[in-house]
Amino acid sequence: MAGILAPGLTRTLRSLSPLAGQLLEKALGNLRWSRRTLYVQMASPKEVKASIANVEPNLAVEMSEQEVLEEKLENVKAVLQAYRFTGLSGKLTSRGVCVCINTAFEGNLLDSYFVDLVIQKPLRIHHHSVPVFIPLEEIAAKYLQTNIQHFLFSLCEYLNAYSGRKYQADRLQSDFAALLTGPLQRNPLCNLLSFTYKLDPGGQSFPFCARLLYKDLTATLPTDVTVTYQGVDALSTSWEEQRASHETLFCMKPLHQVFASFARKGEKLDMSLVS
Amino acid sequence: MDAELAEVRALQAEIAALRRACEDPPAPWEETSRVQKSFQAIHQFNSEGWKSSKDLKSQLGHLESELSFLSTLTGINIRNYSKQTEDLTGTEMTEKSIRKVLQRHRLSGNCHMVTFQLEFQILEIQNKERLSSAVTDLNIIMEPTECSELSEFVSRAEERKDLFMFFRSLHFFVEWFEYRKRTFKHFKEKYPDAVHLSEGPSSPSIVIRSASQPGFELVIVWRIQIDEDGKVFPKLDLLTKVPQRGRVPGCSCFRCLLNMPSKAAYFLWVSQGKNQKLEISLMYFSIKF
Repeated sequence: MAGILAPGLTRTLRSLSPLAGQLLEKALGNLRWSRRTLYVQMASPKEVKASIANVEPNLAVEMSEQEVLEEKLENVKAVLQAYRFTGLSGKLTSRGVCVCINTAFEGNLLDSYFVDLVIQKPLRIHHHSVPVFIPLEEIAAKYLQTNIQHFLFSLCEYLNAYSGRKYQADRLQSDFAALLTGPLQRNPLCNLLSFTYKLDPGGQSFPFCARLLYKDLTATLPTDVTVTYQGVDALSTSWEEQRASHETLFCMKPLHQVFASFARKGEKLDMSLVS
Repeated sequence: MDAELAEVRALQAEIAALRRACEDPPAPWEETSRVQKSFQAIHQFNSEGWKSSKDLKSQLGHLESELSFLSTLTGINIRNYSKQTEDLTGTEMTEKSIRKVLQRHRLSGNCHMVTFQLEFQILEIQNKERLSSAVTDLNIIMEPTECSELSEFVSRAEERKDLFMFFRSLHFFVEWFEYRKRTFKHFKEKYPDAVHLSEGPSSPSIVIRSASQPGFELVIVWRIQIDEDGKVFPKLDLLTKVPQRGRVPGCSCFRCLLNMPSKAAYFLWVSQGKNQKLEISLMYFSIKF
């Protein structure tokens, strides 16, 4: 079809006006179709097409076209469901696409968030469920127009980290309330936590005071930890050793796991008293 | 007539460019605009047929577009997925309004030349206050198994039951792997006599020798590492072997450069100058994450 439009021929075509018009229209239609097909091909890796065509060979002969289509449809629907396990999934909309970001922490599946994108120039966010304290505008300003993938991956990082920090704080409050001597103070972003705790709840010792700051919003472990001990014998070596070791622990392990190890130590102490 | 002819020429040019783009896979940082373009293309293609979405064929077409988009976006191509559910709620639990469900998932697919098969279990516990959902078991089988750089990472993902990290890191690892392969291939084609790939095209290292200076050898080792948190980054090393007599000037300087914390990588190659002297040129490219 492309050959038909060499310069010399177009002159000839012009002279055959009405017929030329029809041929041109047909050529245009074909070219537009080719372009569309190439776009789709560029967008879909070859393997996607292969998997969609993946129907049981034995059954294919016996099934009617309708049934083949239905089976393909079921297969595609199932695979689409599976994408949430990659952390990113989505649905095409009439405006563009609605992307769903799933979050998790240490195997625990947590909240999902969505971002509804409109395909226009410029690309824009129609609406979303991202909490206000996540720097969505900042991330969008950096990447949305040039690199959707980077935008979404970056947003994933922030949301997963936030979910993870929130999970740790929630677990501390719900599972280890017995070791806390006061309410857990936390900000919405869950990157600044403050609490007081005791290793032996009924005991005579003073509580420890901990302050955890997570400067890196894409991390689930704190960057700055301060543990203080307010007791009268604060300077004694054993308290100082404990205080220092707690500081290290909070930096290295998730919050609720540190408390789980405190609780286990407590159990060991109880056992020794009994025996 | 003229306007249509102009459109035809424009379309022909566009089609030629698209055909080239289809054949030539881009470098990792160029992949970005590809996602952008494919996103727009799918939307355009899709919105044209948006209204008539009732019949099976157009439904299938619509869903296939969605699949295309997700595949391009995540870099992961899932081919098969199945799920089984088992209700583990005992009568005692029902009385306390607790519900326990075990899901068994199986999915398989590929990320370029790496194929994976995952089997994992998710335990869902619903009580009055909340619903908790946790991955309780994760098994990953990957091929090709020779990708030793990957096996440690896979064990870590299994241990941590971290599905998301597995997929994200796999995507970046494969992008780097393909990019390394293409870069080495480019050098091999450009300097076939000087450049040798010790383990074939997927080799992690490249050896440069020169016929005019026997005994002299440069080895660039380009490893792709995945750290504890799943971040993928390149690590370059330069090894030199020089004959006892004579030194290659500037070699120690290059060794220094390669150890820099990189968002940049340096490549050097050896070419034969007109006067039979070895010329060492430095090529520098930077990678933006």
